[in-house]
Amino acid sequence: MRNRRFFVLALATLLASMATAHAQQSFTATANEVNKKMVKLFGAGGFKGLASYGTGIMVSPKGHILTCNNHILSSSDLRVHVYDGRFYRAKVIFREPELDVAVAKIDDDVDFLPHIDFEKEAARPLAEPGDWVLAMSNCFQIATRDEPMSVQRGVISAYAELRGRRGIFDAAFQGDVYFIDAIACNPGAAGGVLANRKGDLLGILGRELKNTLTDTWINYAIPIQAAVDLQREEKLEKVSMATFVREAIAGTYKQSEKRKKEDRGGYHGIVLVPNVIGATPPYIEEVVPGSPAAQAGLRPDDLIVYVDGEIIPSIKMFRELMRQVGPGAEVRMEVQRANRLHSVKLKLTEQPKVQASK
Amino acid sequence: MIVRVTVLLLALLVFLVPASAQAQDLNDELEKMTKEAMRKVGPSVVQIVTQGGIDMVVTSAKGAVFRKALGPTTGVVVSTDGFVISSAFNFINNPTTILVAVPGHKEPYVARKIATDRSRLLTLLKIEATNLPVPGYVPKKEIVEGQWSIALGRTLDAKREQPPAVTVGVISALNRIWSKAIQTDAKISPINYGGPIVDIVGRVQGILVPASPKGDDETAGFEWYDSGIGFAIPMEDVQSVLPRLKEGKDLKKGLLGIRMKSPDIYGAVPEIGEVLTDTAAARAGLKPGDVVAEIDGKPVVRMAEIQHLLGPKYEGDKISLKYKRDDKIHEVKDLELVGQLTVLAHPFLGILPMRDDPKLGVDVRYVFAKSPAEKAGLKAGDRIVKFGLAKSDQEFTGQVPGRQQFTTWLNGQSPGTEIKLDVKRKDGKTETLTATLDAMPGSTVGQDYAVPDKLPEEASHKKARAPLETNNKNIKPAKVDPPADKAETGLVKRNTPDGEHKFYLWVPENYDPDIAHGLVVWLHPPGKNKEADFDSFADLWLDFCEENRLIILGPVSDSETWLAGESNMVVAAIHDTLKRYTIDRQRVVAHGLGVGGQMALYLGFNDRDLIRGVATAGAVVTALKDNQLGQRLAFYLAGGDLDPLVKGIAESRTQLQSKRFSVLYREVKNRGREYLEAEQMRELARWIDTLDKQ
Repeated sequence: MRNRRFFVLALATLLASMATAHAQQSFTATANEVNKKMVKLFGAGGFKGLASYGTGIMVSPKGHILTCNNHILSSSDLRVHVYDGRFYRAKVIFREPELDVAVAKIDDDVDFLPHIDFEKEAARPLAEPGDWVLAMSNCFQIATRDEPMSVQRGVISAYAELRGRRGIFDAAFQGDVYFIDAIACNPGAAGGVLANRKGDLLGILGRELKNTLTDTWINYAIPIQAAVDLQREEKLEKVSMATFVREAIAGTYKQSEKRKKEDRGGYHGIVLVPNVIGATPPYIEEVVPGSPAAQAGLRPDDLIVYVDGEIIPSIKMFRELMRQVGPGAEVRMEVQRANRLHSVKLKLTEQPKVQASK
Repeated sequence: MIVRVTVLLLALLVFLVPASAQAQDLNDELEKMTKEAMRKVGPSVVQIVTQGGIDMVVTSAKGAVFRKALGPTTGVVVSTDGFVISSAFNFINNPTTILVAVPGHKEPYVARKIATDRSRLLTLLKIEATNLPVPGYVPKKEIVEGQWSIALGRTLDAKREQPPAVTVGVISALNRIWSKAIQTDAKISPINYGGPIVDIVGRVQGILVPASPKGDDETAGFEWYDSGIGFAIPMEDVQSVLPRLKEGKDLKKGLLGIRMKSPDIYGAVPEIGEVLTDTAAARAGLKPGDVVAEIDGKPVVRMAEIQHLLGPKYEGDKISLKYKRDDKIHEVKDLELVGQLTVLAHPFLGILPMRDDPKLGVDVRYVFAKSPAEKAGLKAGDRIVKFGLAKSDQEFTGQVPGRQQFTTWLNGQSPGTEIKLDVKRKDGKTETLTATLDAMPGSTVGQDYAVPDKLPEEASHKKARAPLETNNKNIKPAKVDPPADKAETGLVKRNTPDGEHKFYLWVPENYDPDIAHGLVVWLHPPGKNKEADFDSFADLWLDFCEENRLIILGPVSDSETWLAGESNMVVAAIHDTLKRYTIDRQRVVAHGLGVGGQMALYLGFNDRDLIRGVATAGAVVTALKDNQLGQRLAFYLAGGDLDPLVKGIAESRTQLQSKRFSVLYREVKNRGREYLEAEQMRELARWIDTLDKQ
């Protein structure tokens, strides 16, 4: 027992001291190397709490810059400071809102800039929670010209969905992201680098977003392996960030069409209790005989808790969710009856035709 | 064993490998061990989601916020048969349903709340599951500053097979929050509350709770999320309190029952200033002037040390205590700590005074049935000219209005006290009456205040601005700039003096600056902040405003929900109104529906010098405070029987009454969370009319 305690203590002390002493050296080299491939961006903003500066990553020797598709790009006068202090003007050439990234190109004809080989980086497997990471960006516009980016250290907290459906409403990107425990998503940080200790690019730092469910700010990066389903020329295609970068550099990227928000709303036959308050729990008041709900065995007084794994805190949320599910679709539902959860499957049908009354 | 080998290997590695490679290996090793620790404890870390419950108050960087819902939080399995410990923060909104998702189990479980530890702010839950993995823990004495501390939380994703969310830091300090908590610099946010911090080899160090040395309610310290300041209750302490929690009994902090003479807890000697009645200290015979010298064998020289020693104790725990009196040390052994201090009740004589009377004395407008005043023989139309305890030896001076002087004196007396009054009858005769004061009606649990059905219409002498009569030429009445003769009536739009915030007033057309008006501060439901909204609200109150002499003040909040920080703006609007109109300070009421009602409760508790009444519909007390001497506060609580909150509202009544606040509770049939019906509005108007009862 005593021995073990000694070792644990020794380990803690040792690790703490060694890690700080040596990690300093290894992080220095990494940070320097990555910094060369990053740029400071200056564009639109500067009012209403919107920063007029941002961060980007050089993805070609000719001056293609990958960055967050945010407001600073809406400027005819987009300026770029590279690591050694040179500065250029640039124009946005492609945007992909669903990936929340854009590519800008330096106006001048250059062919020598240090850059990241994006496709090679994106071919690596995903990082995992617990990995040590560095977040680098020009947050708060601390750096200009040849001053290096701010470096923050942390670990990947989780690899999880950036909830677009609820909680985090204004997230443009809807897929899985890295959450990190460094407070990295500050003004100007979006478009910055999330790298591992070796300097491998892991993700693009995200915007300033608040999780309205917990009322806390979140820190995340979109993984470079991200891919989204896009409607392109009548076809649904999986488009990865690597594809976007490659085609943007080649000048061949085809902008996706806006995803239509459909209001399909299949029929379920559940009548809920009156929605008296902001967060009335979705208790079932009545089940229409013969309806999908009746067939699924739902009963009055059941409390709807989950729909397809999503917790349903209110009647409002239930209605919003069900509007997105069309006839023919099957949803799984967990309802609370007495003190047990019951799982049911509900197959939605066409909305019944309303009989014209005479 | 494995631990030891790893450590040895690692130590060897560190010493044998050249420096540059060393760093990399060490980092790799650290990363590996972090992940291993996550994997080890992960299966015991559960996700907790709640449904229903009230709009609740939390503290944020901007101050307290009324939040609509709670995101998912975390818990830790503490027994194989389904006991789960979590932070009390996660349940302060009294959710209707608590669900616990266990890693590897397909369906979440419905959980029961077993008990709450109000001192360490932990809640024990029970789910019907078996064979759950229970993590090992670090004995308290092995936790040291600088040790790795890995915080786990299971909330970012519903996918339960995923490892928990992790943040990494070190132990920053021990013995925090009066020796109850350890501190970590891992980033802690609400998702972590109830989750563990674990050491590098995967043993639980403690359970994370929001905490702050400055406050002791469930949300204190929330504002420090992600700041690198986080607190956890050591797992060893959690373990030792588990058997008591499993019995289903809530645990309270153990109190001695003394107040110190000096507020300086770090500097002054711990000399007792006050011994509260019916407490451990009173039973031990402690007296003001005694100096505490030793607790449980440990010498103390400052109040802070007493707090450190008593902080970890529960109600019913026994301590030994030494104190110094007249240069002699006395000792008490086996002193049992109490859980609650006797609460203060305000006194009640049972009269309504006439208002706006510049003359010396108090005219009796109304005598409450069965009140001490009625029993003593006081009648409407009598004039109180002198008062006192053993003798009616106190005179009205005229420095302040008679009603105010009498209230101030009465407020200083306790219920049960016998007082003497010299009363001048209508026929000119003066009599001395004796009355035994009661507690304010409605301030005893289960006994609501009943507003009289009919009150005399005549309520004012209509001389609010007249110079006060004095009993001595040398006395100068307190100088107040009286409101102007002419003031705007109808719907008035104004800004707070700093020009930052808009507010509305409804002033009845029969406004008379010589009559003190009641002020109803209407805190609109979120979003209902337009002029038209205020106008239609004022419309409902139109007749009451004229008949009962009321002015309605409508501060405007642009936020999605009322923020506690906005109370400054509300207070500024009230002060502005007090300056411009003749307002009765004893009848200023904060009034609101739903979240607006939550804000009204917040204002009532936090601006005691301004607010005398809180009237809410569909709102629940979340941060109960104590009654204060001389600062009366009465509550009118309404709830619809269809409102899922209705139980919480009824419970709020009991909570308030247990703190001896005067409460009137109305449950309205067939209503949800809606505004009052005409019948309740009439009652509320009468309730406001009796706020200056004595």
